[in-house]
Amino acid sequence: MSGDVKRTVTAAAAALLLAMLVPQIARSAPAQGSAQMNWKVLPSVKAQVTPNYLSGYGPQGGLGSGVTPAAGPSASLQGGTVDFGNVVVGYQYLYKYAAQVAVQTNDSAGFVVYGEGATDLNGSNPVPAPSTYPIFSTLYWLPSNASNSPFSPATSFNKTGGNPIAGGANGIDYSGTGGVPSAMSMIWTSPTSGNVTQGYDYQLRLSGAMPASQFNVYIVYTVIGN
Amino acid sequence: MRRHNVFGLLALAVLATLTVVSQADALTGLKTYKLVTVDVVVTPSPAPVGMFGPAKPSYPNAFPAKTQVASSSTLAWDVPPGDAALPQLIAQVSAQPTPTIPVQFVAKPDPNAQYLHVIPHEPPGGFYAPYGTTKFTCAFEIYTYYTNSYKLQDWGYNTNKTAGASAGTYPIENYPAQSYLSWAVPDFAATFTPYWNQGPGGETTWSGAVKQAQQHCVDLTLTVPNSQPAGSYTAAIEYALYVTLP
Repeated sequence: MSGDVKRTVTAAAAALLLAMLVPQIARSAPAQGSAQMNWKVLPSVKAQVTPNYLSGYGPQGGLGSGVTPAAGPSASLQGGTVDFGNVVVGYQYLYKYAAQVAVQTNDSAGFVVYGEGATDLNGSNPVPAPSTYPIFSTLYWLPSNASNSPFSPATSFNKTGGNPIAGGANGIDYSGTGGVPSAMSMIWTSPTSGNVTQGYDYQLRLSGAMPASQFNVYIVYTVIGN
Repeated sequence: MRRHNVFGLLALAVLATLTVVSQADALTGLKTYKLVTVDVVVTPSPAPVGMFGPAKPSYPNAFPAKTQVASSSTLAWDVPPGDAALPQLIAQVSAQPTPTIPVQFVAKPDPNAQYLHVIPHEPPGGFYAPYGTTKFTCAFEIYTYYTNSYKLQDWGYNTNKTAGASAGTYPIENYPAQSYLSWAVPDFAATFTPYWNQGPGGETTWSGAVKQAQQHCVDLTLTVPNSQPAGSYTAAIEYALYVTLP
């Protein structure tokens, strides 16, 4: 091969190499542009429940029983127990300012609040037979209102379909019920985000069949973002 | 003398009449009373009802199957940017104590239950009533007994005669409006009577002889006018046992 031919081949190879490299260099050059980033923030939902949340809390009613109801010793302002004290079988009572639910959420779709009994009413002193009495059609809830009376329309609490933890003191395990309480136990829905509160009165309607005893139950509140 | 005798006799007659009347009043007394509540759920609707499937939720899914990145879609915001009320957004669910409310009461026996008590038969959730008139057979039973003769009287409780000026709502209403809730004791008569809504005193439900124990069903009819919004309502009826004093 002559020297001219060698130079020609070398030049052609260099040109080919240059032709291959230039686009790569051009493509790696800095460029400017814009992109719209949309993302979804997981909703944060927090809730607190305060018993006896306002001064003036406590039971009223029992008309005809001859006994004026008074809050029991376990009740205290913004704490303790919703303690109806001594009540007479066969009569009806209203417990003012029983519980206030406060919800803080950033979920613009709002939230749902459920409230239900962790168990039926547990009789303890003396222990009746059977030891429990149905919470359904005995303990009711209604939104707090100055005009509420022992005879105002109210909604009964249900016994949960989940598993109470520590008898309900530590809540309810809903893992066996799809992770949520029954829709029957819904007590409040809110369509917006924000910091909101709702107060509730409780009603006690004691059927004549209820045995004499001390009864206890935990009402468990669950808040779920939409 | 004869005129004096006539006046004397008249005076004696008036005195005797007053004595008998006053004794008759004193011979009866209120022994005890019970309030019966009747929960009714007025179900919609008088208009024809179309059946539709539930609407799809309009809010965004917080857990989409595919994460959308750098999209130019009109994806809605769960948390709108620049919300001054919520400056610190937390993108995770935080653990917190479970909100529970302990409830307690001590149920005491009713010493007067041996004389008067109510056996409710209300279904769970209350009585469901469509528009029009619905009969609830044996909505509740009442038991009465006393050592002397007695009578049972009833009247609607939540009227402006007993529960303040704002009372007297559906279904008992206020006199002169007539109660939409009526009662009958089929053991005695099939006739339904609108509940008395003129306050205490009421109407006689039944009477009893000395040491007569009796228990009877009370049937109800409820009329729901088309103007009544659907929803839950409660009627409270007071049953009072008046006994002849020894």
